[in-house]
Amino acid sequence: MHATRYILILLLIPLGGGCSSGPAVDFNADIRPLLNERCVSCHGGIRRQGGLSLLFRSDATAAAESGRPAIVPGNPGASELLRRVSHADPEQRMPQEGGALTRDEVRLLRRWIRDGAPWEDHWAYVTPQRPALLPVQQSDWPKQELDHFILARLEKESLAPSPQAECPKLVRRVTLDLTGLAATPDNVESVCQGAFSYEAYVDQLLASPQYGERWASMWLDLARYADSKGYEKDIGRTIWRYRDWVVNAFNADMPFDQFTMEQLAGDLLPHPTEAQRIATAFNRNTMTNTEGGTDDEEFRVAAVVDRVNTTWEVWQGTSFACVQCHGHPYDPFRHKEYYEFFAFFNNTADRDYDDEYPSLPRFTEDTAEEGAALVAEWEQLDAEILRIAMEDSMAQARRSWEVQLNRPEVIGQVRNMLQNEVRRVAQTPEDQRDAAQRTLIASVYAGISPDKRLVALHKRRSELRKAISDLSPLQTPVMRELPAHQQRRTHVFERGSFLAHGEAVTAGTPQALPPLPPDAPRNRLGMAAWLVSAENPLTARVTVNRFWEQLFGTGLVESLEDFGTQGYLPSHPALLDHLAVAFREDHAWSMKQLLRTLVTSATYQQRSHVTPLLQDIDPHNRLLARGPRFRLTAEQIRDQALFVSGLLSTTMYGPPVMPPQPAGLWKNPYDSRRWITSDGEDRYRRALYTYWRRTVPYPSMVTFDSPTRELCLSRRLRTNTPLQALVTLNDTVYVEAAQALARRMALRNTMSDQLIEGFTLAMGYAPQSAALAELRMLYETALAHYQASADDAEAMGDGSARQAALAVAASAILNLDSFLMKE
Amino acid sequence: MHACHNYRPITSRREFLGRLGLGLGGVALSSLVTAAPAPGVQARARRIIYLFQSGGPSQFELFDYKPLVNQMHGQELPDSVRRGQRLTGMTGFQNSLPLARSHFGFSRHGDSGAWVSELMPYTARIADELCIVKSMHTEAINHDPAITFFLTGSQIAGRPSMGSWLSYGLGTENENLPAFCVLITKDKSGQPLYARLWGNGFLPSLHQGVQFRSDRDPVLYLSNPAGVSDASRRMMLQRLRELHELKAQDTAYQEIESRIAQYEMAYRMQTSVPEVMDLSDEPAYIFDLYGEEAREPGTFAANCLLARRLAERGVRFIQLFHQGWDHHGGLPAGIRQQSKETDQPSAALVLDLKQRGMLEDTLVVWGGEFGRTNYCQGRLTAEDYGRDHHPRCFTLWMAGGNIKAGMSYGETDDFGYNIVRDPVHVHDLQATLLHALGIDHEKLTFKYQGRRYRLTDVHGTVINSLLA
Repeated sequence: MHATRYILILLLIPLGGGCSSGPAVDFNADIRPLLNERCVSCHGGIRRQGGLSLLFRSDATAAAESGRPAIVPGNPGASELLRRVSHADPEQRMPQEGGALTRDEVRLLRRWIRDGAPWEDHWAYVTPQRPALLPVQQSDWPKQELDHFILARLEKESLAPSPQAECPKLVRRVTLDLTGLAATPDNVESVCQGAFSYEAYVDQLLASPQYGERWASMWLDLARYADSKGYEKDIGRTIWRYRDWVVNAFNADMPFDQFTMEQLAGDLLPHPTEAQRIATAFNRNTMTNTEGGTDDEEFRVAAVVDRVNTTWEVWQGTSFACVQCHGHPYDPFRHKEYYEFFAFFNNTADRDYDDEYPSLPRFTEDTAEEGAALVAEWEQLDAEILRIAMEDSMAQARRSWEVQLNRPEVIGQVRNMLQNEVRRVAQTPEDQRDAAQRTLIASVYAGISPDKRLVALHKRRSELRKAISDLSPLQTPVMRELPAHQQRRTHVFERGSFLAHGEAVTAGTPQALPPLPPDAPRNRLGMAAWLVSAENPLTARVTVNRFWEQLFGTGLVESLEDFGTQGYLPSHPALLDHLAVAFREDHAWSMKQLLRTLVTSATYQQRSHVTPLLQDIDPHNRLLARGPRFRLTAEQIRDQALFVSGLLSTTMYGPPVMPPQPAGLWKNPYDSRRWITSDGEDRYRRALYTYWRRTVPYPSMVTFDSPTRELCLSRRLRTNTPLQALVTLNDTVYVEAAQALARRMALRNTMSDQLIEGFTLAMGYAPQSAALAELRMLYETALAHYQASADDAEAMGDGSARQAALAVAASAILNLDSFLMKE
Repeated sequence: MHACHNYRPITSRREFLGRLGLGLGGVALSSLVTAAPAPGVQARARRIIYLFQSGGPSQFELFDYKPLVNQMHGQELPDSVRRGQRLTGMTGFQNSLPLARSHFGFSRHGDSGAWVSELMPYTARIADELCIVKSMHTEAINHDPAITFFLTGSQIAGRPSMGSWLSYGLGTENENLPAFCVLITKDKSGQPLYARLWGNGFLPSLHQGVQFRSDRDPVLYLSNPAGVSDASRRMMLQRLRELHELKAQDTAYQEIESRIAQYEMAYRMQTSVPEVMDLSDEPAYIFDLYGEEAREPGTFAANCLLARRLAERGVRFIQLFHQGWDHHGGLPAGIRQQSKETDQPSAALVLDLKQRGMLEDTLVVWGGEFGRTNYCQGRLTAEDYGRDHHPRCFTLWMAGGNIKAGMSYGETDDFGYNIVRDPVHVHDLQATLLHALGIDHEKLTFKYQGRRYRLTDVHGTVINSLLA
């Protein structure tokens, strides 16, 4: 193992910033990392020992419990922090653990305090400005502005970029990146023989419907999209119209700001379209708990928490989850601010109901009119029931019912999963209940009240429910805001517990970031507008970084999910800002334009060949002295195996499908659903359309690091394990692909041509002679075997020994490292 | 932006290897995570066999003897005991919470005098090997959150499971088998078991538990497809290796060497897995020990025997699941059947490890995700009753490894409702298990989303009294 060597080298790779040894101390570069590393675990957002926190300047310069401020700006002598870090007595000296600070560190702190202890915002919380292009010597190399930033850095390191990739490999690379599929030999020929330019080919790929399918895969990890509800029984969920919405949005090149607004708040747009309401299912991908005896309020809150955390991870690259229970340990977010943001999501009508209410029904064309009428009547009836339930005349009876809720036969009439919440509301004095609680208890009571009007209305309601369900509409769970007179009051949850209500808060955004635009409504729509406002420092950076990572293998900020002070610094800070500003301003949030810029850059088009020098000094290719080379995703591996063998179906959209998987995986005692292997072309649909059951994910894809989609995931790890080899060697999907590829190969006349054909179909270019010789040897040995064993030939090649031997060669091609990698 | 170069230090070899994420590269090598051993204490355990009893076995019928509950049978659970604590929605509406006595008798066993019920005669005989913890408690009251909490340290799905952490922390001792194997009793009903319980969460997928099944393919995709013989596969892999070596000559990229190695390990697994699953070389006295059921693949008894075989071959974490302990009703008949299925093989496993000198470095754990209530759920009759979920106290046992033998630890009140002495939280148990393997639970971390995650979240205290 050469690991030790690489560690030493990695330690020396500079990852950010320029250099000067001038006297000014840089807070972000020098001081904050020191405070974070050595101080904030005791004096931060969770523990504030001695009454001191070093997260905010106001806290650090205020008197601590001792009465003395840790930092007196401009006056090192009066600063308790300096006295303590340089104390001679180890009992008195800080930090207490991990040894004293070095002299240089103390000197830095002293200079910084002497200079007035300037506190800078963390780089990621400062709105990016368009940086000047960095000057470069090799001025004919850049093809795009972004290349200046890469080249300037390489030149500083005395490195040269790699030459342009060989045309067929570049065509394969860009085709995989933009469509998730391999390049055909025709694609390669048309570009490499000059029938049209690389740029024109890129435009053709961006315009193909496969583009949306490939990029939807990335987004669905973030959206935690799945076809099941997640907890315990993990019942199925019908939400694939959202998945199709994502595919369409990418294909239509919906600008990212609109893409954001529709998913977070499509229902609150003026006169929302059906598609805009389907988009809000982004936030109905949270899990729903149908386990008997669970408390719906507990899991409603869990879903809201997930929406908050997901929004922060997806758009702000910030792990906000810490702040649910306490102040952020490192980043400048206060406990209360979590709940102010929580308030944006706390007023939707869903509440962990088993039927996933509210949902958007789609009736068949024949029944659309009837269905719409039934739904309208249902909604009117619901409103009427609630109106009566809230009448003063009902209050007396309801109150006497409330005080009896301790009696089992009384509470027993309430739906099991609502009992706890109903009891909690009943125990809350009426004048302290919020509108949602008043509505809940009134409507629960209305459901069992003997009032004749209510009895009749409920009877009609049951009839309507049946009539609607008889029409079997396709129901997609969506977001719906509660009307103003039914809204919840949001409280801080002490230590994150949904039962421990602290102070009441209203919707707002954290102070460390620019404020909500003054004219923005204080609801999800305003919050979404804030995320994509020009002032928001994170959204554009976080988003361009995701696209960069998909193409180059590592983000400019490696921690896609964390741009906070504990995340990694950008490898090319100015480039990140350049791309972020260009994405928002020049490309007007167009994801296709952003991608076009990236893939037509000189940086992207470099050869990916790894030289010993580069392997030594930059094994992770952070400097980009070569093109990207890394393993394909789970979806790409499956899709291209089917594609090159000619099996892949081009059908788009619709309910999820069940391609072959090993028998017996879907054993669930509470559930009669079975994995029934799809017939016909549904057996060969793109991986995107595979039924995604959270507790029993499709096994071959999980083996290639696809997530279970219980929570938002920004970054898949790429591993290399023996189980992956077993999948591509033995899984029925890959065996069928090898056999089908062999049938395509057999269309050629000579054995050599057949083998060349198989390789070329897979890779887009012909094999070199040494590789061809290996394939020929493999074919001949296999042929000898199958000629001697009719049974094996029957199973592998439909009785033809030649066909079986070709299938073995095809299987070897589908297992080539080069086939599994993007090069 | 900055005035100075920022050489972001790679803080540890572990982080470096974790990010590399390939082959052994995904392993936090033991030299880094080993807790400094307390004076006189040596980490002796090298592996864990966890016999997970899914559904929540009732402590009242098995290990936690409560004469007062027997005396007060049929009387109401006093409010002074319950103190308004949370009930599930299944008994929350019952108009009465009558105490239910155990249908089964208890007696003391071994030199340690441990109380064990008549349902567990084989377990009773190894009482002096056991450390019976009667004061386990958890935070969750429903199955899904509770079992997820127990096995991943968090009620929220998505964290790595205990076995994945161990695989990540200690790596494998056998290159031909996964470090973390999962065995599930076949044909049981009860709460579903899901991949996240042995999932790798955000750790590299190398560390995910691999389920060994009693089906045709003991590991998914292990068998060659129809029409591919072993010889033919070997020949194909030779050519593939040559093709990869051609490529390796051409580039300095390291992953090709790793890919060659993974294909070879896959091939070796095709031999080593069937070999370990094949019980035909086990002598008759072994089947006497584990019971005749052990001859039938997929039974709990067969899985216990298989666990021993995996342990012998250096597998780090062997996780068995046995469903069916969720006795809301029909408890006497249900628990009798469950005990019959698990008692003899569990005890046999401990004895078998002992007779091979492996008990010293193998830690065996037996228990579920929570306990059950002292009061009856549903109708209490002379012959029948049920019990609801109870997270506030429950019992599990451990044996071997670095764990003290012949001890009962912790105590519940006379009603068996609350803990009165030496509580052990789930995170404490996890910390203690890791400690027994020489791992400091606060140091076995993985950085993700800007935070260092660990199995015990931000909690957990090693219970030194449980350690030998």
